[in-house]
Amino acid sequence: MSQDSHPPRIVCFMCNWAFCEEEMRIPYNVDVIRVMCIGRMDPALVLETFIKGFEGVMLVGCKPPDCHFVDGNLHAERAVKMLKKLLALAGLEPERLKLLLVAPLEERAFSHYAKEFSEEIWRLGNSPLKKDEFIANLTAAKEAASAFRLRVLLGREEELTEFMNAYGEKIPEEEFDALLDDVVKAEYIRYKIHYLTRIKPRSVKELAQILGLKPFAVLRHITNMRRKGMIALDRVEGYTPLYKALEVR
Amino acid sequence: MTEKPLKEVRKLPPCRAACPAHVNVQAYVALIQRGKFNEAVEVIRRDLPFPAICGRVCFSPCEDACARVNLDQAVAIRALKRLVADIEREQGRVVAQPVPKKYSEKVAIIGAGPAGLTAAYELAKLGYPVTVFERMAEPGGMMRYCIPDFRLEKFVVANEIAYIKDLGVEIKTGVEFGKDITIESLKKDGYKAIFIAIGTQTGMKLNVPGEDLEGVINAVDFLRAIALGKKITVGERVAVIGGGNTAIDAARTAKKLGAKEVMILYRRSREEMPALPHEVELAEKDGIKFYFLVAPKQIIGENGRVKAVECLRMRLGEPDESGRRRPIPIAFSEHQYEVDMVIPALGQVVEESVLPPELLSKDKRGPPLQVDPLTLETNIPGVFAGGDVATGPASIIEAVGAGKRAAISIHRYLRDEDLRKDRDEEKIEETTWVKDWRLLEKKERRYEPPIEKPHLSFEEAKAYLEKLKRQARFEAFRCLGCGPCAECLASMELCEGDKAVVDESKCVGCNVCAVICPVGAVKKNEKGVAQVNEELCKGCGLCAARCPERAISMQKLSNEQILTMILTALER
Ligand SMILES: Cc1cc2nc3c(=O)[nH]c(=O)nc-3n(C[C@H](O)[C@H](O)[C@H](O)COP(=O)(O)OP(=O)(O)OC[C@H]3O[C@@H](n4cnc5c(N)ncnc54)[C@H](O)[C@@H]3O)c2cc1C
Repeated sequence: MSQDSHPPRIVCFMCNWAFCEEEMRIPYNVDVIRVMCIGRMDPALVLETFIKGFEGVMLVGCKPPDCHFVDGNLHAERAVKMLKKLLALAGLEPERLKLLLVAPLEERAFSHYAKEFSEEIWRLGNSPLKKDEFIANLTAAKEAASAFRLRVLLGREEELTEFMNAYGEKIPEEEFDALLDDVVKAEYIRYKIHYLTRIKPRSVKELAQILGLKPFAVLRHITNMRRKGMIALDRVEGYTPLYKALEVR
Repeated sequence: MTEKPLKEVRKLPPCRAACPAHVNVQAYVALIQRGKFNEAVEVIRRDLPFPAICGRVCFSPCEDACARVNLDQAVAIRALKRLVADIEREQGRVVAQPVPKKYSEKVAIIGAGPAGLTAAYELAKLGYPVTVFERMAEPGGMMRYCIPDFRLEKFVVANEIAYIKDLGVEIKTGVEFGKDITIESLKKDGYKAIFIAIGTQTGMKLNVPGEDLEGVINAVDFLRAIALGKKITVGERVAVIGGGNTAIDAARTAKKLGAKEVMILYRRSREEMPALPHEVELAEKDGIKFYFLVAPKQIIGENGRVKAVECLRMRLGEPDESGRRRPIPIAFSEHQYEVDMVIPALGQVVEESVLPPELLSKDKRGPPLQVDPLTLETNIPGVFAGGDVATGPASIIEAVGAGKRAAISIHRYLRDEDLRKDRDEEKIEETTWVKDWRLLEKKERRYEPPIEKPHLSFEEAKAYLEKLKRQARFEAFRCLGCGPCAECLASMELCEGDKAVVDESKCVGCNVCAVICPVGAVKKNEKGVAQVNEELCKGCGLCAARCPERAISMQKLSNEQILTMILTALER
């Protein structure tokens, strides 16, 4: 239980079609924001919600087969899977994000689920991260989730795992998951580097220290980032090159 | 009325496109999903003044068209309509506000059946002074006088007509067109437009010897006499002749009135019967016997009363112009059925004697009246005709559709507008967005709303109602919602219809949106950038959530909007 005596602030993004307004009792620490379909939640927005200060985020959609948009709920599932990986990388408990898919006429009331989730978040207590670190990590996660590579992978997941890719192959789910893991990790680190070098020019050694990585691993990311125009050499201090982030559009 | 006119929403889901009155099925089913039962009735009433009546006896072309049949069975649209209408009525009669008269031109409507009443309803909503002239003592037409009470209760009909009167429609009963009033007399009385909707009231004759014996009574006369409360002695053994719904209604009524044995004699086979299979089943449950491929040759009497029908056996030949196989008598196959009552139910024809002769078609094989199928104009300017009188016996919902069309035409005629230009009726196109049926799961239709209400205490009744509502909502969730976005909750302002917009300068043509879009509304165009088909887009926002370049945003609930909502929540 956290030291704080106030209940955690929670945002619940909810599909227009899940739970009827009249039937909802909303606990006072929870805010409900209605969207057309839970699959509509941009992953970057979910991370933004954490950055703004909410301690838990709940996504509520419709259980298969009742999605009004056929498989918007499954899109949400994929996004949540990726977001949880990003949260873990950022050092925040992935349990702070929850996807709840409910049947059209759910036996249990919304307040039941909201309370259950609140208690879970309360048990987790405050974020384990210090303020600066929290902002840096979550911003990196958010930017990774806003960038082309992760988004295109997420957007193509269904196509790749359930249908065929351009070469007529179907990628097994586990293989895709491993691929997603790699890409999420790489993208997260690159955007973290980007964030850090935005504040001031830094050396590979310094970055490696902050990120807890081997210098050559950082150097590899920087090479990649230079090619994409994310970063550039700022100056050389003694024998140490310092890198500075470039503005990405 | 906040709903967009059809003009802008041209693409309709199959149910609404199939309905002659274009009732917004998807919207009210969506409201039922949300537990908004009274709002659902309001949505129905925008297009149809008879929710409870049609909820009981409509032939439901919507269900035949329902896209769900590709998967399992149609959504139980009619039963849902009945439930919401009944729940509303049981809360006490809904009284409509009278509509202020915006125009001075008086409109006369002849015949208070569904066609006439609907025209009156629509014209009153537009602000015209409307008077309906009806020959019988009560308005309602066939709904009041022919459809038996056990299928459609009289108070249900009266209740929905009372709503039409509330709007300011005047109904004058006991006035016969062709006798008490004529087109000339109405014009002299200042009526600027006339809608003739007298239906088809005369039962067709068998044209066999013995038809005037005592104990022979035409089905519509029989049903009408009962609706009028006249004492009718039904026989012990009754033969009903015909295979339509009227035959079934007459047979079931005779049985319920105490006939020992009721049989239906039909000259073709079961497959060709125009009666609905469901009605036939109910008749069989009532113990009515069916004899197929038999046609009466004569009715045999004794002391002026029916004693038996003599029939010939039939075989089926080539299909005739109706597409059904023509029955051909088999020689020397005469046989008799001992009965003491014969009810011919061969269909109805227009009572030509009350109509001005210039309105009647020359060609006796086609429809009885000459009217323009789109505008319902007759060859007398300012006189329109529709419903059964123009089409021959059809259905309530088709009569309602005709009433609506007549109202539009009369409005345009009185406002000196082109009657044919831009008619909504011509712009309707059916659509269903389901891209891939394999992605959808089966959910069998199990909904069987009770017809009889159990006797319950107050407390039990409350729980019972809750159960009914829950079942109805469950059934409503079977709806695939195949129409475009504006079709559903947007019309009740429960949700704002949204649309995706593409910033072409950002789009790189990666095609993620096209793959993701559940309704196939986003495609790459010839320039290689994403393009949204606004008529198909339902505004779910999946494409915007996934667009790798964030080139797609939502018109209403954009990411920025959601962010503002997050910040507002935080400051609370
Ligand atoms: C037994 C039976 C069962 C049916 N069951 C169904 C069903 O289950 N579902 C369904 O959808 N349809 C059913 N129908 C068909 C349906 O009732 C008709 O198609 C529909 O009522 C036609 O509407 P209408 O307004 O054109 O004519 P009508 O309903 O016939 O109304 C015409 C009105 O004009 C009046 N009128 C006639 N002549 C004059 C005159 N000279 N002056 C003044 N008034 C006049 C009549 O009294 C009547 O009130 C059934 C019909 C019958 C006969």
